[in-house]
Amino acid sequence: MTAARRVAGKLGGLLLTLFLASLLVFFSRFLVPGDPVSFLLRGRKPSAEAVAQVTAQYGLDLPPWEQYLRWVLGLLHGDLGRSLQYRQDVTEVIGDRLPVTLMLVTMAGTIVLVAGVVLGAVAALNRGRALDRFVLIGLTVLGAIPSFVGAIVLIAVFSVQLGWFPSFGSGQGFIDMVYHLTLPSIALALVFIVLVGKVTRSAMVDQLSREHVEVSTSRGVRRSIVVRRHVLRNALGPILTVSGVLVAGLIVASSIVEAAFGLSGIGSLLVQSVDRLDFPVVQAIVLFVVCAFVVMNAIVDVLEPWIDPRSAAGAGAR
Amino acid sequence: MNRTLRSRSLARGGATALVGVLAVAALASCGPADTTGSGSEEPIDWELTETTAAPSGDIDSFTFATYAEPYSLDYAYAFDYADNSILANTCESLLRLNPDYSLSPGLAESFAHPTPDTWVYTIREGVTFHDGTALTAADAVASMSRHLDPAVGSFWYSVYQNVKSIEQTGEREVTVTMTGPDSQFNLGMGGSAGVIESAATLAEKGADYGNSTGGVNCTGPFELTSWESGESITMTRYDDYWDEGLRARSGEVEFVFMTDPTARINALKSGSVDGSWMVPMEAVSTLRSAGKGDVLFGMSTAVGNIVVSDLDGPLGDVRVRKALLLAMDRDGILQAAYRGVGETTDVMTTPSVWQDASDAARTAAFDDVTSYEQDLEQAKSLIAEAGAEGAELTYVTAPISNDFAVISQATVAAARSIGLTVNVETVTPNAYTALFSDPTAREGVDLFYTSWYLSSPDALEMYSVLRTGDFSNYGGWSDPEFDAILQEAVTIDDPAARSELTAEAQRIANAELPWLPLYQAPISLYLGERITGVQPSIAFMYYPWAATIGAR
Repeated sequence: MTAARRVAGKLGGLLLTLFLASLLVFFSRFLVPGDPVSFLLRGRKPSAEAVAQVTAQYGLDLPPWEQYLRWVLGLLHGDLGRSLQYRQDVTEVIGDRLPVTLMLVTMAGTIVLVAGVVLGAVAALNRGRALDRFVLIGLTVLGAIPSFVGAIVLIAVFSVQLGWFPSFGSGQGFIDMVYHLTLPSIALALVFIVLVGKVTRSAMVDQLSREHVEVSTSRGVRRSIVVRRHVLRNALGPILTVSGVLVAGLIVASSIVEAAFGLSGIGSLLVQSVDRLDFPVVQAIVLFVVCAFVVMNAIVDVLEPWIDPRSAAGAGAR
Repeated sequence: MNRTLRSRSLARGGATALVGVLAVAALASCGPADTTGSGSEEPIDWELTETTAAPSGDIDSFTFATYAEPYSLDYAYAFDYADNSILANTCESLLRLNPDYSLSPGLAESFAHPTPDTWVYTIREGVTFHDGTALTAADAVASMSRHLDPAVGSFWYSVYQNVKSIEQTGEREVTVTMTGPDSQFNLGMGGSAGVIESAATLAEKGADYGNSTGGVNCTGPFELTSWESGESITMTRYDDYWDEGLRARSGEVEFVFMTDPTARINALKSGSVDGSWMVPMEAVSTLRSAGKGDVLFGMSTAVGNIVVSDLDGPLGDVRVRKALLLAMDRDGILQAAYRGVGETTDVMTTPSVWQDASDAARTAAFDDVTSYEQDLEQAKSLIAEAGAEGAELTYVTAPISNDFAVISQATVAAARSIGLTVNVETVTPNAYTALFSDPTAREGVDLFYTSWYLSSPDALEMYSVLRTGDFSNYGGWSDPEFDAILQEAVTIDDPAARSELTAEAQRIANAELPWLPLYQAPISLYLGERITGVQPSIAFMYYPWAATIGAR
């Protein structure tokens, strides 16, 4: 298989996935009970003409397939529709909130990877010893702390008691934003560290018992070099695969942390929008998360052969 | 937070039910788990505060937390605490609704009522919008006419429902012609229905007017400077503001949106936010013991009621409605839901909306009404008389705040004590909101709770809602005598004369119980240690309350 064909195949699969996702995302809204227009009027007494006009303004009077076509055509033009709750273009509603979530997810993702890999590696290299058990138990405890509990504890200690960090808001400018998002990203990261930590540990344990590692060690190659060149590098594959899932997970989980820290990201927006029947916003965010997931997996697919040359030659070579 | 799913009605036929849908989730500070335990909590010491100490001087800026982000700052859609409490500081109405719920001239320096069908407003001179352009009568016509435009779908349409035309009839004069006498229209001009925006801005911003992109350009003491979606709205003092008496004492005010009640309380405790309206009762003692600021209580127009939404069922018999109310432990409810802050009541209005009433009307409205103090014996005999033993009722609630849980459980207990069965159905806050707008959502539902406030200084606004066929007459209650009284009262301009008919209406509602009134609770306010100078009142939805706040 040539590289070009492989990429084309991947791209085709990606587009098909996105198309199917768009169908699912759009039509699932018709399964949700409730009338968007009555929400739009929020219980106020409307005039009859107003109800008709408002329905037409949002295209809610059209048959579902036509609404879907309009939506997809709009998407292709970068038009995601209009938010019912904010009476504003969805691109603006989401565009205002996306930077916060991206920053939060990036910071949390970094914490997860660094902490997870370090802890996992420490455990693997000390397999069976007290330190290994200590790390494993620690990770399990971290993984059992729900984000909102983590958030409450972090706020109580570092904002209210010590006053080191702000308890809400996302700040202005890069430095201030990093400062404001420190506690939230830690709260968000906690649950996911266990995932990366355990994957790292088992991948490395697996590698450590491989023949070439044992051979290298017996030939007197320094342990640090063996660990770096062989063990860690070969363990990166599974870690990378997990990272793809991690990003989507972080975006979804961000809603809880965003709510606790009063951040306006797309996570909290998604939750609000579902409750408010603001379908254009829900559809756009869900599609965004699906895209992020698909794209992350594509990136992992592309990176994999680079990290592990064996997989470039196809599974048969293993 | 009690005040979330409150609904409010508007003047005349109107009754616009407002349900602060989303807010709700936010306010669920204590959650249902707390329900039973909270009764044992210490009662809160409270008294009504009319005003706080005058500022020692101006202040550069202060921040206020709100439990939700406004959906829009377009006055046509401003119909909830979050929207109105912010909008009130930047946009002004023809009349001004003061903290004591009196009306005084606003952007109209005067109004006249030359014929029963017309209201004539004289637009104030020397007022400028925040972009520096002068306020004209044409701006008033354009702003008011939007409520009549179906494409806008104004939430305040009910105020305008009897309007035939809105015309400029002089250089500074706007004449509103009604289809018939309507005393309530003018009373509505102190709220968002009377807001005046620049006609040029309305035309220029179009569909984006009032959202976080388009913003507003009004005449108030503060000018909208930025709206960070989902996070905050910042306003700065407008230096050319026309009313010296309400010139902003703060150079800037920032409203931060904190949907999570714990986050809000933490921010108040740590001093990173200076104040908030409507702090959850559960947080009052923590805030007080933190010792950095004051929790205050102000005048409200809201009454907590259980709406009887099915009069074809067992509650169609007035004896059963009375029995249920007589069986309720309303003092206990007040204690459990609000830590004792508030008073039980037998009527659906508060004295604050009876200010222009005659003495006779006030006596008739509050003294000559039936008291439903808990009386199980009487309740049981009413049930027996009605032959309603064993009847089953459906009560719908939502996990919105502590009071919702307390009241639903108290209703179950009251019913059980007189041989009725109440089944509680818990729905999402969103589905709960549908009860207020969608008749199909109310099918099979006998009872639900609401806290209902009035946005005009006239008790008649409450009772308009209960006329036959009204949008917010959720149970379809109908009483020809009541309807006739309302129909006549609406046409009477003299507030004292009108109040006597309103008192009649209140007497009928008190006897017939289309809704079961429980209590009235004040509006709560937290002020941090840096600021002072506000008048705590539910008028914060329409009055530029932030303008008077300065340095403590």
